[in-house]
Amino acid sequence: MKTNVNVLVLTGYGLNCDNETAHTFNLAGGTPARIHINALIDGSVSLDAFQILVFGGGFSWGDDHGAGVVQAVRMKTNIGEKMIEFIQRGNLVIGICNGFQTLVNLGLLPGFDLDYTTRNVALTYNDCGNFRDQWVNLKVNTASPCIFTKDIDSIELPVRHGEGKFFADQKVIHRLQQNNQIVLQYATRGNRPAEQAFPDNPNGSVLDIAGICDPTGRVFGLMPHPEAYHHPTNHPDWARRKEVAKRNQESRPPKIKTGLALFQNAVNYFS
Amino acid sequence: MERVKPMPNQLEITLKPDLADAEGQKICQKARDYFGFELTSVRTVHVITIDAQLTPDQLAAVQSEIFTNPVSQISSYSPLSIDFDWTIWVGFRPGVRDNPGSTAVEAMEDQLRVKLGPDEAVYTSRRYCIQAPHLTYEDVDKIAGELLANDIIQQWRIIAKKDWDPAIGTGIIIPRVQLEHVPTVTTIPIDSDRTLQRISVERNLALNPNDIPTIRSYFLNPEVRSQRAEVGLSDPTDIELEYISQARSDHCNHNTFRGCFHYTDMETGKKEVVDNLFKTCIEAPTLSLKEKKPWVVSVLWDNAGAGQFDSDHYYVITGETHNSPSNMEAYGGAITGIVGVYRDPLGTGKGSRLIMGSYGYCVGHRDYHGELKPRLHPRRLLDGVIEGVKDGGNKSGIPTTFGQVLFHDGYMGKCLVFVTALGIMPATVKGKPAEQKTTSPGELIVMCGGRVGKDGIHGVTASSETFSANTPAGHVQIGDPYTQKKMHDFLLEARDEGLIPFITDNGGGGLSSSVGESAEGAGGCRVQLEKVPLKYEGLDQWEIWISESQERMTVAVKPEHLDRFMALSRKHAVESTVIGNYTDSGRLHITYNDKTCACIDLNLMSSGFPQWQFEAQWFSPKARGLAEPVIGEPRDYNSLLADILERPNICSKEWITRQYDHEVQGSSVVKPLVGAERDMNSDASVIRPVLHSEKGLAFAQSLLPSYSAIDAYHMTGCTIDEAVRRLIAVGADPEQIGGVDNFCWPDIQYHPNKNPDGKFKAAQLVRSCKALKETCLAYGIPLLSGKDSMYVDGHLTGPYGETRKVSALPTMQFSATSIVTDIQNCVTMDVKIPGDLIYILGITKDELGASEYYEHFGYVGSHVPNIFPERFFPVYIALNRGITRNIIASAHGIYRGGLAVHLAMKAMGGNLGMEINLSKVLSEGVDRNDTLLFSESAGRLIVTIDPKNRQAFEKLFQDLPAAMIGTVTDTGKLVINGINSQKIISLSVQDLKAAWKRPFGDLI
Repeated sequence: MKTNVNVLVLTGYGLNCDNETAHTFNLAGGTPARIHINALIDGSVSLDAFQILVFGGGFSWGDDHGAGVVQAVRMKTNIGEKMIEFIQRGNLVIGICNGFQTLVNLGLLPGFDLDYTTRNVALTYNDCGNFRDQWVNLKVNTASPCIFTKDIDSIELPVRHGEGKFFADQKVIHRLQQNNQIVLQYATRGNRPAEQAFPDNPNGSVLDIAGICDPTGRVFGLMPHPEAYHHPTNHPDWARRKEVAKRNQESRPPKIKTGLALFQNAVNYFS
Repeated sequence: MERVKPMPNQLEITLKPDLADAEGQKICQKARDYFGFELTSVRTVHVITIDAQLTPDQLAAVQSEIFTNPVSQISSYSPLSIDFDWTIWVGFRPGVRDNPGSTAVEAMEDQLRVKLGPDEAVYTSRRYCIQAPHLTYEDVDKIAGELLANDIIQQWRIIAKKDWDPAIGTGIIIPRVQLEHVPTVTTIPIDSDRTLQRISVERNLALNPNDIPTIRSYFLNPEVRSQRAEVGLSDPTDIELEYISQARSDHCNHNTFRGCFHYTDMETGKKEVVDNLFKTCIEAPTLSLKEKKPWVVSVLWDNAGAGQFDSDHYYVITGETHNSPSNMEAYGGAITGIVGVYRDPLGTGKGSRLIMGSYGYCVGHRDYHGELKPRLHPRRLLDGVIEGVKDGGNKSGIPTTFGQVLFHDGYMGKCLVFVTALGIMPATVKGKPAEQKTTSPGELIVMCGGRVGKDGIHGVTASSETFSANTPAGHVQIGDPYTQKKMHDFLLEARDEGLIPFITDNGGGGLSSSVGESAEGAGGCRVQLEKVPLKYEGLDQWEIWISESQERMTVAVKPEHLDRFMALSRKHAVESTVIGNYTDSGRLHITYNDKTCACIDLNLMSSGFPQWQFEAQWFSPKARGLAEPVIGEPRDYNSLLADILERPNICSKEWITRQYDHEVQGSSVVKPLVGAERDMNSDASVIRPVLHSEKGLAFAQSLLPSYSAIDAYHMTGCTIDEAVRRLIAVGADPEQIGGVDNFCWPDIQYHPNKNPDGKFKAAQLVRSCKALKETCLAYGIPLLSGKDSMYVDGHLTGPYGETRKVSALPTMQFSATSIVTDIQNCVTMDVKIPGDLIYILGITKDELGASEYYEHFGYVGSHVPNIFPERFFPVYIALNRGITRNIIASAHGIYRGGLAVHLAMKAMGGNLGMEINLSKVLSEGVDRNDTLLFSESAGRLIVTIDPKNRQAFEKLFQDLPAAMIGTVTDTGKLVINGINSQKIISLSVQDLKAAWKRPFGDLI
């Protein structure tokens, strides 16, 4: 089912998950377009034509001065107000990995009191001291207003980052909790809180935080990569599950929520 | 009037004191592990030195908006007050690529809306604040020189607490390149061969002495001289000789593989002449297979070979090594290697999008504590190489889905860093075949990407020589994946608009190679060298021409497309410059400010140079006195298996795999790590490069240099067979396998003093190439691409100041790729369900020669595994059918370490027990348990199946060697019963895993 929900996936300057992100939005029924950051800045493409804005994964500007920092400076300097207007018009913004890092450096998250300009939280170097690619179990806060995680209570996704440790001072964390802005938390395979234990919590994030939203639930950032789980064979256990399902005489493995579900929620929000 | 430049400003940034400093903690840990130093704490400080005219407001703005995270960091334009006993400052040497420095400029210009002047710049460096009251200056210097910095690219300062002036801090060092040099073209006299030879040595031209008469006769030819006089040239210029040197180097021209080998079997006295290994053993079999296999699209001429993925897409593949640079500067060499190999697919056909990469590292033992002193200790070298490929691969947005590491003392002289790249292109671009490309007269020569500096000069010729203390360090550089990623995105967009008739990369030899080779299509070129954008002034013309500064592509653009091409280039923030045009003059003509500095007939390179000659003498293993060792059968197999699982070339190296993003692009199907706990190495990786298709691309590599100690012929055959089995095990099509050979050999040119066993090494190469040909023909594997890197030798200093030559084992890495028709059929190596039946496919022989088992006892032996493709291949075909019919639950090859090790792998993979009866194993000439358990006979796999599928499975393997040897159990124990049915091994999966993870399990 094709909708006319237009999705802008940013590209350029070292971003690199744009193809699979656009593909996944396509699967979700949206109409994605990969747009170079400069095309947005020079006005040859306008945000007005879009309902969903995606800051995707990658290494913008090489991540040389803190992940997502330079991208945030460039976006803020050139189209900062347009982005805020975009949010105020009721549209959706998602930041994945490098995009999440960009959103917090822009101040679009956490967006306390709908102030979208203040940097209150940081994503800093993993406690394990290295870049790491692994799958994580995520517990979803069903009380959060987040549009993207509607009807999902847990999900498995891959993380792939060196700077994903969520950090903020105690007051900010408390406020995030109170507002139900903490959307995703790293968990054990049994879906219990990771309690900062490595590797269930792969980076040492405070309170196991993997993703947060703004108070409206329309701006969402997360370190894990939902676009990298758009096909059942993306999951590390799929070949095992397939065999088990076969023995149980199931024609196909049981339907498990993939990262696609997050994108479907976003597209369906407009239909 | 000279402008007075203000003092540079230096900003120090660090994490807030209550935040853990993971980088600092890592340094503490390494200082303890490597040197036994106890450091209380290390805090790292990022230093940004701004050598530009900025107002205080501007400085404050960039401090708060760009360089300081208000939540996690603090910063100051005066030295931060952090407690320490010692401070170490580490910065780059002048001219070394400072990637963060460049992005800092970009960010500042963007935020402040200013443009920095040509003499303004930003430099980054680090300060380490070390608390360690008991360390001496010498200890700290060791940490600086052996842990934090490499003197080839970096400089450091050490300041003790008592010497610290809080107002001055580390002081300010500006590593700016300043060359007070007027670019000059020098004419080289060629009055005699000796003169030219002397100048070749003085100028580091590395001309082969045999080439010198050919070069001289060209420049002395009266007709040539009169043509040259017309453009104002007489004797050759330095730029012309550099061009010839690059084009004739072994790296570019493959003189060794194109050489003539006079081979003698010293046992039988039989002589044979092998004229050109490349033509006879690589080109001929590949072209004959191309005739039979319509899926082979493009081989043996472009930067990478191409095979058909589906009717709309071709995949491309190539493999490279970056050994010499990595050996000197591990991080810089490795990142330059991976980023460099990624330009090959980009420069294949009209351009390909990168879809995956892989790595192979061969280094000395990580815990080496012998008396030889390599430039970098193997542990440090490996750390640097891992990190270089991590940054290069991850920041390129390309999944690294496969890799291997091999430890052997032979790589202490020179390490091996293999990097492999795969890309994909549409079958057509604007209706034209995408795999074809050519230049035409009138098209413009455009250089895209980075700028040119002194870096990389004489890299090609240096890798064609043995590493010694005098090898110039100038060829070490640091790749910049960020700049290249922007260029990659730009060029693919330009390709899709049909703007690129020809593209190639600037790698070894720089413009000299890329322009020189691309001019052959059009039949000539004219280059205005002064147009080439430089990093800094003062380069001689020949340096601009051959510099290997990275991240550059050379593209042909039709004049009518130039405006659009440049508009796209600007959009992607990539620098592109027209530096000349293609002609049909038959000549390579270079000018600098309108004055000719080179004018050479293009056909010079393909005419008249003498073929290299090699004497090759083969002494059989028997003639060399190799025999089987005498070992009584072990009694304690439990300990033996556990100890073999702990051996460095068997044990888990998960810490490396996890540092590499193997899932970006969303294409992952079979990951490098699989199994119930996602920690076992898969046989091969599978990706789905076209996201809307259910087709997959499988990829695997193998390396078995140990077998070369007996016979490089069998090393080669077994290496290829292993790569094939790896693909088969995951479900790849046996009929569409493409291969890539990467040879790394010690010097094979005989010299009575410097290389007394050169003739034997040459014979090993001949035998290896013959095995390559025979095995590829037998399995039907066209060689889509391949490279050779000779001179894997080094001279290491010993305890008495003596030097000792250390040569690597003859090594060939084989990469193989094939199509998976339906990814839903893929199989992984881990056993899945208790009660499943375990089969061994293939026959086990008494082939322990050079095995892991013999190595464990310090033996080589002589019974090296042999391959029998005509017997093996039907087994592989049958297994593939079983997998496509979905009756195979798991499949895994038996590789290094033999049956025992790979049964353990399967059990660990499933986290399940297994009960095995060795008496059921099909064997020939084996009557001992240890031989059955540890023989490395080729052609074997272990599979498990649902008992319900037994009949179908056994029918499939009718008349083929397949035997049921046991069952998967829920006991959690690997139990192996010996030939006489007595239980000889009983180990829990936890114990197996503990042993397998012991050496490196704590590393992250």
